[in-house]
Amino acid sequence: MQFIDAEGLKTLLTDVIRQNVTPEAQAWLFAQGGLKDLSAFYTAFALMPRKTGKFQINIDESQQKQINRSREGFTINNWTTDRLARVWLLMQAEGENNDAYFNTIEKLFSTGEMNELVALYSALPVLSHPQLWVRRCAEGIRSNIGTVLEAIMYDNPYPAENLDEPAWNQMVMKAIFTEKDLTRITGLYTRVNPELARILIDYARERWAAGRQVDPALWQLAVIFVDETAINQMKRGNWENYTAG
Amino acid sequence: MCCSHSIEDRQIPAGQPESFDINAVKGMKFFDPHVHMTSRTTDDYQAMADAGVVALIEPAFWLGQPRTGVDSFKDYYSSLVGWERFRSSQFGIKHYCTIGLNSREANNEALAEQVMEILPLFVYKDGVVGVGEIGFDDQTPAEEKYYRAQLELAKQAGLPVQVHTPHRDKKKGTQRSMDIAIEHGLAPHMVIIDHNNEETVKEVLERGFWAAFTIYPFTKMGNKRMVEVTRQYGPERIMVNSAADWGISDPLAVPKTAALMKLSGISDEAINLVTYRNAVTAFAQSGQINEDDFAGVIDQSAKFEGNSILRGGQQPRIDKSSIIIS
Repeated sequence: MQFIDAEGLKTLLTDVIRQNVTPEAQAWLFAQGGLKDLSAFYTAFALMPRKTGKFQINIDESQQKQINRSREGFTINNWTTDRLARVWLLMQAEGENNDAYFNTIEKLFSTGEMNELVALYSALPVLSHPQLWVRRCAEGIRSNIGTVLEAIMYDNPYPAENLDEPAWNQMVMKAIFTEKDLTRITGLYTRVNPELARILIDYARERWAAGRQVDPALWQLAVIFVDETAINQMKRGNWENYTAG
Repeated sequence: MCCSHSIEDRQIPAGQPESFDINAVKGMKFFDPHVHMTSRTTDDYQAMADAGVVALIEPAFWLGQPRTGVDSFKDYYSSLVGWERFRSSQFGIKHYCTIGLNSREANNEALAEQVMEILPLFVYKDGVVGVGEIGFDDQTPAEEKYYRAQLELAKQAGLPVQVHTPHRDKKKGTQRSMDIAIEHGLAPHMVIIDHNNEETVKEVLERGFWAAFTIYPFTKMGNKRMVEVTRQYGPERIMVNSAADWGISDPLAVPKTAALMKLSGISDEAINLVTYRNAVTAFAQSGQINEDDFAGVIDQSAKFEGNSILRGGQQPRIDKSSIIIS
């Protein structure tokens, strides 16, 4: 279980919002009240860009550090104003009853447009009751929308902390298939496992057979569990010692 | 939505076909304000982008057979703002949509009630530029009821309305659609009356509404007729669309019509109005259209399946004439 100073984080995000959106948009946003009025909550979430715009936020280094201290691994660098304000709104939605809370947020996921989905998946590490979102996160990895995948895969501590091994392996493989930058996956080296190494080697073999390239980062992961000499042979296209998994 | 006519009704028009020469309108940009991309292939997106279509509107419609549960509607609406929007972006075409309960399915009242409940979840979303396509098909009391209810929704959300006009008893259906919109206090400039023809256009324009024309083979307007309509009425408040869908239709109807207008001596300015500018003006009243987004600026981070990144507005091309697929 990860340490989250939820109140401290809310305050920090509120400050960043103050720096980045108009006074009118702030007044409107800060007047939004949680889940008491569901229809107002859904509407506020949907029309966020009309109020806040979609501008890249400015944030200084000390704020970045403080945010990272309030929630390890969490970053809002390079976010847009609508994304940040949506995540802020989601953080106000703490409900008494887990079921109602879950159903409300889940409905946003199931009706989300592209940018809404990006905000929703970026919010996973700061939503309360992390265990509620494991299946949702695994579902998001099945998306084919690039920006949605990146919201889950890049600089997001939630998957490494919460996904089980099959879902984690699926995410890494999906990242490889969709040509993502593997170095931005939080926990890439801490969550690597023998089964993933096997899948990676099988995949490299398949690519070799098809006359296609692989991301070199793949070998750096596999070598943690597979003999380095064998790996070096495979890299050169020598698969004599390879046995299909 | 298009054809309720059967294949047998269709007659192949006489005359020598002329080939479409895109060079006639090279460098022009087009906005197709009514096209059902969900029913089209990736090749169509590529062809549209090549022909100069920079943005489009996909109205929510009938999928060819009736849906039986509200979740089917929910998933369809979310695909219009999600997956389809992403698919379009891969080709540098800005994708907008209008959201509504179409007239045919309004006749299933039990389901229609449930659909009405979820519409507010979607109409405020980014890139939703209107309530549509709504209106009359059979002109039943149920259709009227939900047309009225959705006009109220549009008014509340401050969105334009995209009105489908019926195939049968068209003239009267069109008049009724306008009368009811006025009755609900919608300003004519917030209402786009779609699928016009020579019989309906005069009154639509005189009453201050936008008149959209669907260039759709066999059942709606042909583009030669469209050239004549533009000559007769001028380009103000007139727009053309393809309404391409799962029927025999043409996603290049807008650029082809522009080309035919050019060859027929219609001015570039008039062509621009009816194939681009008027539709932008009408639907930008939603506050959701920013022309800077049309520039084929593709989100550099958007990637698709196992394809490599292909920015600059292009998906990787395959050579269809080659027997080799690599």
